Amino acid sequence: MHMADALLSPPIGVVMAAVTIGAIAYSVNRIKKDDSFDEKKIPVMAVSGAFIFAAQMINFTIPGTGASGHIGGGILLAALLGPFPALLTMAAVLIIQCLFFADGGLLALGANIFNMGIIVSFISYPLIFKPIVSKGLNPKRITLAAIVAVIIGLQLGAFSVVLETMASNITELPFNIFVLLMQPIHLAIGLAEGVATAAVLCFIYSMRPEIMEGALSNKSIGPKSIKKVLIALGIFTILLGAIFSLLASSFPDGLEWAIRNITGSGEIEKAGNAYNVFDKIQELFAFMPDYSLKSNPEEGTSLAGIIGGTLTLVLAGGTGVLINIMKKRKVAKK
Amino acid sequence: MTMLSKATYGFHNLENIAEGETIIHRLNPLTKTITTFLYVVIVVSFDRYSISGLLPFVFYPVVFMSLGEIPLKPLLSRLAIALPFCIFAGVANIIFDQDTMLTLMGFNISFGLVSLVSITLKAGLTVMAVLILIATTKMPAISRQLIRLKVPTIFVLLISMIYRYISVALEETINMYIAYSLRSPHNKGIKIKDMGSFVGQLLLRSFDRGERVYFAMKCRGFSGDYKYVPTPKPPALELIYIISFAAAAIILRIVNVSDLIGGII
Repeated sequence: MHMADALLSPPIGVVMAAVTIGAIAYSVNRIKKDDSFDEKKIPVMAVSGAFIFAAQMINFTIPGTGASGHIGGGILLAALLGPFPALLTMAAVLIIQCLFFADGGLLALGANIFNMGIIVSFISYPLIFKPIVSKGLNPKRITLAAIVAVIIGLQLGAFSVVLETMASNITELPFNIFVLLMQPIHLAIGLAEGVATAAVLCFIYSMRPEIMEGALSNKSIGPKSIKKVLIALGIFTILLGAIFSLLASSFPDGLEWAIRNITGSGEIEKAGNAYNVFDKIQELFAFMPDYSLKSNPEEGTSLAGIIGGTLTLVLAGGTGVLINIMKKRKVAKK
Repeated sequence: MTMLSKATYGFHNLENIAEGETIIHRLNPLTKTITTFLYVVIVVSFDRYSISGLLPFVFYPVVFMSLGEIPLKPLLSRLAIALPFCIFAGVANIIFDQDTMLTLMGFNISFGLVSLVSITLKAGLTVMAVLILIATTKMPAISRQLIRLKVPTIFVLLISMIYRYISVALEETINMYIAYSLRSPHNKGIKIKDMGSFVGQLLLRSFDRGERVYFAMKCRGFSGDYKYVPTPKPPALELIYIISFAAAAIILRIVNVSDLIGGII
């Protein structure tokens, strides 16, 4: 579910990053205010983060299907560490995955932390997992809570991937087909992941019940306080979106004007039935609506462009070879 | 299993490359982060039908990878991770966007095909940019810069400690995995009924290890702060580098060099 940079437009990437920075700052604040939190928890969070990273690579077999799955770990972390430490740990893991393993892009980091961390810590844990187990911990409740929370978390995450890709106007895939492709796949994944997460949580509960009890007794987050947070996050997102659409409507115009002047190609009318549902939605929000126009088809397609492009590539390759040769000579001289 | 050992290998490999002493390695990490981010944003900002405009941006990875002596192989394995979903989105465009964009030597080339090539190109360029950043920068240097940028200490501590303990966690997981598969051969992966005790056991061990790590840190005076030797600020020369990098990227974003070269010829 890690999104690559190529799937996002800059405005969407930046808005998601801003929302994520806000949520991380909020979590850091909450942790600082929490009296039960001491610096002792930091190494425990870090080692669990490293563990989650490794655990995501353990495949388990799904009986009867031959298929295999792996755990995502968001709910696991939230249930054992509490939602705010879990969000920080998950965010740190995602940052390392992005940098060192190319799992998810740099510009897409905000979106990825949102889809896989914020949704879990701010929605599926406090609104689903916690209310189910808060009546008293027992294996049955833990299993039910884990499965439902993982499924809902993954569904929301997958839906958010669809929305972000669509709003970035990267794919021509109609919205409804995209949703129909993503949601059922993630329902199956979520069920398998939920069962595995439940098994792990039940095991830990039977061995060391105090870990989960400790995370639950943390009163800092409940359905009431979460409402405020969600409302704040929502308002923040809308505000950012509004500011960005204002910026976007003035800035690209200048850019396009420049491109047009230099390349001499005007905008070409939209071809055929290019207006799909999402174009309309996008225009409504005015996130750089021009992205959806099939503008400047000459750009990058004329014969001159093809010849020039090939030459550019050859030049780039040649530069690389030249630098390597020069480096080798230098080493040889030494 | 192969995934676990591959990850361990890739991780150590990257760390070794980052130990290099080339001109790119010596740049201040903050400088590199800013230019990488700029590059990614500008590449992604191209509309979905541009190809020739993107091509001049190939220069950056080629030049920096040769200057930084970064091997090509880790790049290819990273691309393999990033590409599938991009291609999925791109192939959808081929199906749903069949209007002809241009006719070349008798072949009709659709908008969809052009956008597939464009997405793939963007994915390749952005993945390369992040690889160049990380293959030429050591993790402690990144943490110090994060502190300087006023990122909360606890978050920076988390990132650098998770990074430190990934190889430990991977090693422990591999050991348990080998033990498990020796006792249950002909099994790909772990049976779901064993998942609870397998992962649960690993998690409990991690918790205990985390506590031991804390005691060891406490013995060395840990109080929740991130202690480090302050790094020098990026020298003025690097500011000039950032500005010229940004200027070049913006000019290339506006002027389609490929078309210009093709036009001259």
